[in-house]
Amino acid sequence: MTTEQFQLETKDINVWFGERQVLKDVSLKFPTNRVTALIGPSGCGKSTFIRTLNRMHELIPSAGLAGSVLLDGQDIYDEAVDPSTVRLKVGMVFQKPNPFPTMSIKENVISGLKLSGRKSEISDDLVENSLQRASMWNESKDRLDEPALSLSGGQQQRLCIARSLAMNPEVLLMDEPCSALDPGSTRRIEETILELKESMSIVIVTHNMQQAQRVADKTAFFLAEDNQPGYVVEFGDTEQVFGMPVDPRTNDYVNGHFG
Amino acid sequence: MNLEPVARPKSAEPWKKTTANARNLQIIASLVPSGVAAAAWLLGGMDLIVSILFVLLPLQLLAIGLVGLILKGKRGVPDAALVVMTFFFGTFVMVLLLSVLWSVVEAGFSALSPQFIFQNNVYVTPTTGLEIGGVGHAIIGTLLVVGLTTLITVPLGVATGVYLTETRGKSRGLIRVLLQAIAGLPSVVAGLFVYSMLIVTGVSAFAGWLGSMALVPLMLPTVARVTEESLRLVPQELRNGALGLGAPSWRAFLMVTLPAAKSGVVTAILLGVARVIGETAPLITTTFAAANTSFNILEGGLATMPTYIYNYISLGFDTSISRAWGAALVLLILVGVLFGSARYISRPKSLTPKKKKVKR
Amino acid sequence: MAQTPTDAPERRTLRVKPTTIEDKLFFGISTAAAYSSVVLLILILVFLGIRALPTFEEQGIIEFVFGSGWVAIEEPPTFSIGPMLWGSVLVAFIGVGLAVPMAISLAYFIEFMAPKRLARAATLLVDLLAAIPSVIIGLWGLTVFSPVGAHWGQMLHNALGFIPIFDNTAENFLRTPFIAGFVVAVMIVPIIASVTREIFSRIDDDLIKASVALGANRESTFRKVILPVSASGIVGGVLLGLGRALGETVAIFFVLNLIYDDVNWFNILEPEGGAIASLILAKFGEASETEISALLAAGVVLFILTLFINTIASFIVAKAQPWNNR
Repeated sequence: MTTEQFQLETKDINVWFGERQVLKDVSLKFPTNRVTALIGPSGCGKSTFIRTLNRMHELIPSAGLAGSVLLDGQDIYDEAVDPSTVRLKVGMVFQKPNPFPTMSIKENVISGLKLSGRKSEISDDLVENSLQRASMWNESKDRLDEPALSLSGGQQQRLCIARSLAMNPEVLLMDEPCSALDPGSTRRIEETILELKESMSIVIVTHNMQQAQRVADKTAFFLAEDNQPGYVVEFGDTEQVFGMPVDPRTNDYVNGHFG
Repeated sequence: MNLEPVARPKSAEPWKKTTANARNLQIIASLVPSGVAAAAWLLGGMDLIVSILFVLLPLQLLAIGLVGLILKGKRGVPDAALVVMTFFFGTFVMVLLLSVLWSVVEAGFSALSPQFIFQNNVYVTPTTGLEIGGVGHAIIGTLLVVGLTTLITVPLGVATGVYLTETRGKSRGLIRVLLQAIAGLPSVVAGLFVYSMLIVTGVSAFAGWLGSMALVPLMLPTVARVTEESLRLVPQELRNGALGLGAPSWRAFLMVTLPAAKSGVVTAILLGVARVIGETAPLITTTFAAANTSFNILEGGLATMPTYIYNYISLGFDTSISRAWGAALVLLILVGVLFGSARYISRPKSLTPKKKKVKR
Repeated sequence: MAQTPTDAPERRTLRVKPTTIEDKLFFGISTAAAYSSVVLLILILVFLGIRALPTFEEQGIIEFVFGSGWVAIEEPPTFSIGPMLWGSVLVAFIGVGLAVPMAISLAYFIEFMAPKRLARAATLLVDLLAAIPSVIIGLWGLTVFSPVGAHWGQMLHNALGFIPIFDNTAENFLRTPFIAGFVVAVMIVPIIASVTREIFSRIDDDLIKASVALGANRESTFRKVILPVSASGIVGGVLLGLGRALGETVAIFFVLNLIYDDVNWFNILEPEGGAIASLILAKFGEASETEISALLAAGVVLFILTLFINTIASFIVAKAQPWNNR
């Protein structure tokens, strides 16, 4: 087995909303330049977990957290760390495409740089590059100045991916990026993910087990019993988790015995 | 693995920890400018507003900007500036607004007494003290005049709202534009309108009901608009359910849509009343204020709260101004009650038991 | 391209028409009520117009609107609202200029910075303040604010009196456009703040999340995401406030000196100014018939002005939202 590097790692993450604990002792290591999928039934804390990785979790009132998240060995929750700098390195693509409505396609791509004050990095090459990597260049190169909302749903989502890519993140978090899209767009985004992993680590939350098998190198299976906090049942290479799961509950889930 | 939930520890918000250094910096950054400004004001004899504008504000901007620079680098500065300016402007305007409220309460309170509320001003001269006379007649006048306005406007306004949402009339766009236009009518022009239509032409002399007429165009757009919005909020599925059961349109409306929008319609009415109850100018050009209590809205003098206040301010004496404050307080309480009721009735009601945040 | 056969089935028009008597009544009554607005507006225009016409004829429209001088006693009388017109505009602009930054700051503070409970209380307070009758604000302006405003005016004059705007020749700083502007600002801030806060609260949360996820801080999110999305709505709210400022009668009446002969263009610290609505109020009590006609003419001009502004407001709000597919 090759020695793996872990760009992102969590240690004993416990999450509360108010007094209620929703995640318990989640310790995962996300290998560099690989795709890790988080799967599990609805409501078991996957989306909450992914939000702890770029410090978006704390924006929810009554949020509580214990444990650490290490990015390149440094705890992002350290006192001295400015949350917005974390988000410059750890990008996020959301479930519902959310391009900025008052901006054109091109303006959306560079919006991240403008918002974070990195204007000197803006260039037409960067715009083209980001759109290429998101598989959006051909469809937008002739209409860069048109409103972003004139794109279809799938195209808007790829635009959001391009927007995140322009920031050159080390890690890209994707929270069910395809669940609002049609199968054709889904396929294109999955192809994009496979190309992107060469330059960054990707963590993707998905309900679609086939998708996890298609794109992910590693898979973590989350579960939560009634009124109990969520936790990781099993984590390993995708082929193993789906083909020869160690835990019987994993077996039940991946074989569709509950959903 | 032990999966029992553990109680949330006190330190479960790591993002809230700031290093002691940062915290001290922020405290100093707020205290020093305040201290300097206070010194300039109290000791240096500088005028308060000058010390705030020219000492506190720039120093505070400088200080917080510096802190931002230290903690977050170049990007922390505009961020800090935004916080300071927002705080400054926001506080300034709140002080002005609260000053209005406070003045009314403070100055009006001394005039308030049962006698003030119930008596009229038949025996009162401009310089009579506040132990005699009151606003009783004005309150009655206001209730009568605004009551008549409401009686006319509510059916018109609600029905207009119904037309705009429940029918597919071709003039809906036109009507909306016209309502906008009427909403822009300056209140004094509304009074002039009634004056030119009914007084100059000799139909009537100054009287209470003319005041009511003048208030109608001021109340109508509000009632119509809020009614339209409330009806619009009723989900189409409800209407479809009723129609699908074979109900005719009017039944579907009366039995399903209207009850669902009930609180919205009531809000519309209350807001409309609150809007006109304090209007002065239209009443000045259509009514004349008498000092005695009258229930005659068709002819003769009729005092109303706003004209009462206006007249007593115009007299200029200390005692009459105090009277005006007293009346202002009473009027403000009336408006406040109307407004509060409207708010209370239209508060979001939870139809389902409170759901906890969904775990994901 | 193949031709569609000409005997394709005819498209049937589907109209929903009320059939029963009750339904006909229902729709009929609503329609009639709605048309009452049409009737109302026509009545207003007709009656005001008829009564105002003599003045427009005698004085000439241009002379009336832009000239100056209001002398009722002479024969023939002179009526012109030039100083009043400009005065209304000047005071309204001062008011709006003061009100807008204050209102937006207040709305931003309530919506994005204050803790939930404070925000709720503040919202309630601001909405209530929007309902305060103007006569009460006039009372406050006259008795409480005027001394303070005059004091500020004095200081401004002492410091910057060499700039023409801040010049003052009358030795006193009461009843100036400066003070009137402040009073107007106090009146319209709650309206603008209320509308702006409402808009801020309706901004799609996803947009703010997207901005934050890209690493933006508070200030850049505000400038580049929140403001652009709310811009047209805010403009609409401001114009609403402006309309109110122009039509404001009683409050200004108590705190501004009206002059009829010269226009006070920009000396905001001089105790001279004008406002059409206040003019009407001032002269109404003892006006002769010709003077009444002149006052009505002034009212017509004011109405047209506010109509104009409201139309622009609706246009701006409607047009600048191609992004919003409502």
